[in-house]
This record gives sequence, structure tokens and C-alpha cells, in this order.
Amino acid sequence: MNNVIACRSVTSTLVRTKTSNVLAVLCGICIPFLAAGCGQTPAASFRLNLVESSKQRLTSSQEQQVATILTALFGTPDEPLAPPEIGLDGAKLKLAAGPVRSDIVGRKNGLYREHCAHCHGVTGDGMGPTAAFLNPYPRDYRPGVFKFKSTERADKPTHDDLVMVLRNGLAGSSMPSFALLSDAKIEALAEYVKYLSIRGEVELALMRAYFELDDEDQGVLPQSREFLFEEIIDPVSEMWAVADDAVIDVPDMPSGLDMVASIAKGKELFYGNKANCVKCHGVSGLGDGQANDYDDWNKVVFQAHKTVEGAAEQAGKASTWEMSAEERDEYRGELAWLDRFETVLDGNALRPRTIRPRNLRQGVYRGGMRPLDLYYRIHAGINGAPMPAAKGTVPPEEIWDIVNYIRSLPYDFNGTLGADRPMVARDRM
Amino acid sequence: MAHWIACCLVAVTGVLLTFGALVTTYEAAMAVPDWPGTYGHNMFLFPFAEWFYGPWDLFLEHGHRLLGASVGVISLVLAAVAWKTRQSPAVRWLVVAAVFLVVLQGLLGGLRVLLDDKTVAKIHACTGPLFFSVAVATATLTSRRFQTRSSKEGEVHGGMAIGSWLATGLMFASYMQLVAGAQLRHLDPAIGPNAFRWLVAFHLVGAATVAVLSLAAVGESFGLLPSVYTRGSGRRLLSSTILFFVCMQVLLGFAAWVVSWGLPLGLLPDSIASRVPETSTVVVARSGLSSLIVTGHVVLGMMILGASVVLCILSGGLPNAAGASFVSRQRVIA
Repeated sequence: MNNVIACRSVTSTLVRTKTSNVLAVLCGICIPFLAAGCGQTPAASFRLNLVESSKQRLTSSQEQQVATILTALFGTPDEPLAPPEIGLDGAKLKLAAGPVRSDIVGRKNGLYREHCAHCHGVTGDGMGPTAAFLNPYPRDYRPGVFKFKSTERADKPTHDDLVMVLRNGLAGSSMPSFALLSDAKIEALAEYVKYLSIRGEVELALMRAYFELDDEDQGVLPQSREFLFEEIIDPVSEMWAVADDAVIDVPDMPSGLDMVASIAKGKELFYGNKANCVKCHGVSGLGDGQANDYDDWNKVVFQAHKTVEGAAEQAGKASTWEMSAEERDEYRGELAWLDRFETVLDGNALRPRTIRPRNLRQGVYRGGMRPLDLYYRIHAGINGAPMPAAKGTVPPEEIWDIVNYIRSLPYDFNGTLGADRPMVARDRM
Repeated sequence: MAHWIACCLVAVTGVLLTFGALVTTYEAAMAVPDWPGTYGHNMFLFPFAEWFYGPWDLFLEHGHRLLGASVGVISLVLAAVAWKTRQSPAVRWLVVAAVFLVVLQGLLGGLRVLLDDKTVAKIHACTGPLFFSVAVATATLTSRRFQTRSSKEGEVHGGMAIGSWLATGLMFASYMQLVAGAQLRHLDPAIGPNAFRWLVAFHLVGAATVAVLSLAAVGESFGLLPSVYTRGSGRRLLSSTILFFVCMQVLLGFAAWVVSWGLPLGLLPDSIASRVPETSTVVVARSGLSSLIVTGHVVLGMMILGASVVLCILSGGLPNAAGASFVSRQRVIA
């Protein structure tokens, strides 16, 4: 009898072992499918600029109104629209937009989602999945600000500027070169970047327009064509339309230039008060000068964090006992806004990073390494970054001297490390 | 006979998975918008010249479909032969699973195209390695060497020794790595950076797990850990190969990241990231080298999974503990 019981016990243990193992296999197989998600992937949609809408304290119905206007004007990521007044090429947009697919002769659509969206995001807000891993962060197109261009600081880039960035990539960043793509594809991508940028600027303008509403508007934007086009869209699209005519007129480098003298002059300007490059790029040119500033994109988020912190501090000091019922309602509204703004910042903005001035001794220039590119950067500064324009304070021939000095820096021994040894790579970092 | 067919299945599946990986790398899945036909033709009657000399995306996608169909046919032949040659119950269950999975995989592939849906694409990418594992297991269990060993030892252990646990863990971890990789490769651009961070963390933790388990498996096979199994040279070679593959895979993974998204400087504190030397070199998107690296990472992952399935079986892993009988009736009679 005891043997039978023992045998049964062993058998049941074995069965349990087998069952648990089989269950383990089944679980192992099922987990991936659960991880992959059960629902169908939703259609791609543009994300609202919630940081700006929270900053402007828009209500949800106002946000909805902005979203509706934007969809009516610009369509969706799968079906982009471009009002003729904006001057964008619809055929190019169609090539770049939508999901990735190709036809029997190999023509591919959905180029933006294939090549750009994983960093820049479907909306072009620089919040693609990979964004947090990149340093510098991918560009947020929505403010319509671009760094590397041939136009004056406040102007938009030309179409060719965007094409050049796409074709060459940006050295020292994660932006790759798309040189292997055909011209038609690069043209289409550049057009789509403009589309996202104009859409983002219009969105910002719409959100800011709520501030200027009269009482009689009752917090609702006018839907008239005059308002939308004359006050919101035209100022944006005109800036883009004139960009090709706003290219900086670069004088040729003086002929018969004594390069040694030019470099010496450039050095003088670099360290002098006139150009004052040394303030940020440092005495050594290693980019170790002023390093606590933010670029425009990070500054927005940094200031938003400051606003939330400041408001939270104020709210923390307030005593609800001394408030009237009206003040208490206002106070609760303030707390709700703070709470929402904080959540929005967590989910819709990346941690702000300070911008480091370029290390000029590495010879890596993001906007291009041609003398002409360096001239543009010094003449017009870098839009969106603390780099100021030398235009107006430094005449063109002296800008060329600075260009020549900067181009000599990677090969220059700066004399502060000891005259008995040359500068080594480590010193340049 | 069954063994050779199973080996053929593994080889063709390997090519199929490589084509699948290339389809994802080049985002060519929607190069053929219809299914099961190809641009209105019966899949098998699509003009050869139009496919072979046609656009690259079409070549990959249609080639993937043709290979998938071939794998389906081979699986059916294998099932018939396994029954006819009276293979062990475990093998017969495996070939049934193979037929089920290949049909499921075909349907998922079709749905992925018809719905143009990334979620289905992810599931499709998870089922592929599962089928590959089944094919590798079938090839291993039907091999003469394994059958001879099993019939000699006649082993069905009541529990699992440490080597078996390690091999089983390695097999699961390798598979989960392919699952995590599938989530990263079929990336929905609408997900935010936070969700992506979790996916990357999962993949990195998985990589560490696979590395530790493969190292431990080598230790165990060389007798550094207590084991009830004979420490044969086969297991030593296999575990060492897996460890080598894993080391290569870590390097390939880093390279795949760099050619896809540049250096992951965002992982470093700003003070350190700003000190990393920059170069004028930029990654060229869609270059042959970058596609080779990214696809190679997937294919090597598949090879690690296949090798760990074999190691798991040789170590008397999970199937043995579940009481499966591996010796074919023909051999028992003989």
C-alpha cells in the first residue's frame, strides 16, 4: 500500500513537472505575441504642440479647434494637403508622406517615415523614438528655425540649403548623409521638411493668437479665410517664399591674399573685442568658454520647467484658509494647470541640454567645412544657437581673415602647452 | 531520409529568414501590395525576368514569398516522411508544429501586406525564429548521431541538471532577444522616446543575459560547473561557438546602432558626451555596409538561437524533462 502511494506521489510529481515545463514553453511562446501588442497599429497622426498649448493655457476645446484648423489646412501624415498659397509641390509631398510602399517599377513613397521619422518624429517635433539617445537632439522643425543655411540669421533656409544638409549629413551629429538617394527623393524630403516646418509655425501662430482675441470672440479663433491666411499663414509662407532671394552675398576672398598675415589678423580678431569669438570658443579654441547657455529649442523646455517650478513654489506658499471662494477656485485651477504642464513636459519634451560651443581644433564643422560655409556661419551667426552674427561689426574681408584663422586651428600649436612638444589629439578635445 | 529533409528545411529557412531580414532593412514589405498573388499574377507564375531583374524591393519581397512557399512544401514533405518512417512522437509533434507554424506564418505575412500593419509585422517577425527553432530541433532529433546516443543512454531524466537549465535558459533568452529586436526593427515612429527607451533597455538586459548564460554554458561543458552529463566534445564545441557568436553579436549590435542612428551619446552624461572626439565622417544611409551590418545582426541572432536549440537538446534540456521520447520506432525495432 505504501509503495502504491509512493508511486502515485512520484507520478504526480513527474506529471506536475512536465505540465509546468510545457506551460513554461507555452508562456515563452506567447509572451512575444503579447509584447508585440494586440491591437492594430493606429493610423499615423500629427501630435499637437502640447508644450506651447500648456504654456499658453489653452483649454481642451481650444486645442481641439487648433487641431481641426490644422487638419483642414494641412491634412494628415498619410494625406498631406498644401494650400496653393504656401507654394509647396504637392507631388513631392505625396512622394515623401504616408506609409512606406513601392510600386512595380520601384518608385518608393513614404520616404519621410522610412528615413527621418524615427528621429524627427512623424510631426517633425524632434521627438521620434530614438531622440533621447542622440546628442545633439534631432531638429524640431516646428519653430521654423534652421541652423545651417546660406541666408541671413533671421531668414529661412533656401531649398538648396535643406538639400545640402540631406545630401551631406551633419558631421559630429547623428544626421546621416542621404547621398545614395536619388535627387528626386532628396528634393521630396526637403519639400516635406518645409511642409512640416510651415505646419508647425502655423500651429504656433494659432496658439499664440488666442492671446490677442477680444472678449467678443469668447475664446474662439475666427474661422474666416481672411484671418487664417492674412494673419496666420501668409506671414509664415512669405518668409519661405523669399528665402531663395535672401542668400548672403559673399565677396570673393581678396586676391593675392597673404595667408600668414590673414591668419594673424584673424587671430587678433578672434581674441579681440570686435569679434570676441574667444568668449565662447575659449582661449584655446577648444570650445571651453561660456558653456551654460541653451539653444532655442532647449531653452523653451528649460524655461517651461522653470515656469512650472516657480509656479509650484508660489502655489506651495499660498494658504487656502485666507482665500475667498473665488480665489480658491482660481488656485485650484492653477494647481490643475501646473499638474498638466508637468505631465506634458514629461511626455512631450526631452531633458534640456546646454549647448557646447564648437571645438575649433577638431576641424569638424556641422554646417560644412568649405571656407564659404564658415563665412556664412560667422557672417550670419547660427540661428537658434547663441552664436551671434558678425555682420555689421566685422567687415567682409575681416570675416575672411577669421575664416582663415579658424581653418588653421586644427593644425595650429597654440603655444600654451609647452613649446617643446606639438599639440596632440588629446589636447584638442 | 527525414534527417536530410529536415536539414534542407533548416538551410532554406535560413535563406528565407535572411530575405525576411533584408525586407525589413530595406522596408520592402509593401513592394508587392497584393497577397497571395503578386501584382495580379499567381505568385508562382509571376514573370521570372520581371522579378529577378526588377527593382531591389520587389526582388526581396517576391523572393521572400517564393522561399516561404518552398519552406511550406518542404515542411509538408517532412511531415509525410516523418510519419512514414515512424519517427519518435517528439519528432512527429515537431513536424506538426512546423506545418502549423509555416501556415500561420504565411497568413501573418499576407495580413501584414493586406493590412499594412506594423503590429502584424512584429508578430510575423516573432513567429519566424520560432519556426526556425522547430526546424533545427527536428533536424537534431532525427540525426543518426543523436538517435544512436539516445538509444544507448536511454535517458529520460526526472529533473534537469544545471547544464540543461543553462541551455534551456539560453534558448529562451536568445529567442526573446529576437523578439525584442523585432520590436526595435519594426519601429512605429509614432511611439515616443520613453517607450523606445524601455525597448532598448529590454534588449540590452537580454543581451547581458544571453552573454552570461552562454559563458556559463561554456563553463559547464568544460566541467567547471557540476554536471550529470557526459562532457562530450560536441557540447564543448557548440557552447564555445555560441559564446563566439554572442561576442560577435554584441559588436554587430553596437555597429548596427551606429549605422542606424549614430553614436548613442545620449546615454552618456553631457559632460562626458561633450568630450567624445568628433569626426568629419558621417554615416551614409542605406549604404551596402550599413544594410549588411544591420541584417547580419539579425541573421547572427538567428544562428545563436539555432545553436542554442541544439545545445538544449544535447544537454537534455526542456524537451527531455517533459518526457519526450526521441528515438524513432524504426531504431527501437532495429
